[in-house]
Amino acid sequence: MTRNLRTTKAAKREKHKLMVVDDSNIIRNRIARVVEAGRIPAVTVVGMARNGMEALHLCHEHWPDVITMDLTMPEMDGIVCTENLVRINPDVLILVVSALNDKATALEALQKGAHGFVCKPFTDDQLADALNELLEAP
Amino acid sequence: MNKDISEERIRVFTNAVKHYFTQVAGEAVAIDTAFLAEDGNPVCYDYTGLISVSGDFRGCVYFSAPRVMLRHLLMAHGETDHREEHLLDLVGEVANTFSGNAREYFGPSFAISTPLAVSGRPDCLDHHEIRERPFVISITWKAYTAAIAVCVEGNRPG
Repeated sequence: MTRNLRTTKAAKREKHKLMVVDDSNIIRNRIARVVEAGRIPAVTVVGMARNGMEALHLCHEHWPDVITMDLTMPEMDGIVCTENLVRINPDVLILVVSALNDKATALEALQKGAHGFVCKPFTDDQLADALNELLEAP
Repeated sequence: MNKDISEERIRVFTNAVKHYFTQVAGEAVAIDTAFLAEDGNPVCYDYTGLISVSGDFRGCVYFSAPRVMLRHLLMAHGETDHREEHLLDLVGEVANTFSGNAREYFGPSFAISTPLAVSGRPDCLDHHEIRERPFVISITWKAYTAAIAVCVEGNRPG
């Protein structure tokens, strides 16, 4: 029993740590539910932030290795936050999840260090596929 | 280039509305009518989410919906907490999504703010100094009627 518990804890520790950054509580909860439902088995949610400033603070606390990042947020937007997070941890994987679907914005996010883009409104499948692909990428 | 909002460009928002309900709810939404609102009398329901537009444009885009429709939309998002806080969050997020999606057509110079969400009619609607009357798109989903209003004009002459 103790051994099983230890194995489970070890497996949890090995999962990628996901931080969700979005100014909408509904979207943050929805992304967390997709993860909790086992749709993205390689990750566990370690933190949720309402804006870029909060994300930077939480990053030092949890050291996430995967982040979903909204772009239009108060305090600090997702582009500036992405740039800062990549400076803190160049290996962090950032998936932008935003309604801003013009090519110039997507390109700017990628240039600042994001690795993928999911456009709002998204389905659970689209989010899960994008995160799974991001984690499986070499 | 004339950057005023034309009826043709309203279709950009109509498409964003259709896309939203298909993606989130897996159901089609009925676009009932699109009309120019009467001066000083914008359409408003229980909750309104408003996005200010700047950059090469100025004005606002707002989404207004009845409480019951927002509750159904919360369920479509898998959200079981239907408190006022979440209804306001949702109406703002929907307005943000419609406006953000419109950038596929208008480009990044269609700069949008974070949402302002209120119960009823936002006072700030009176302070948007735009000469155009709002273009209102009336929608029906699950027998509930809501509206998206677009009151945006180009910021550059000609």
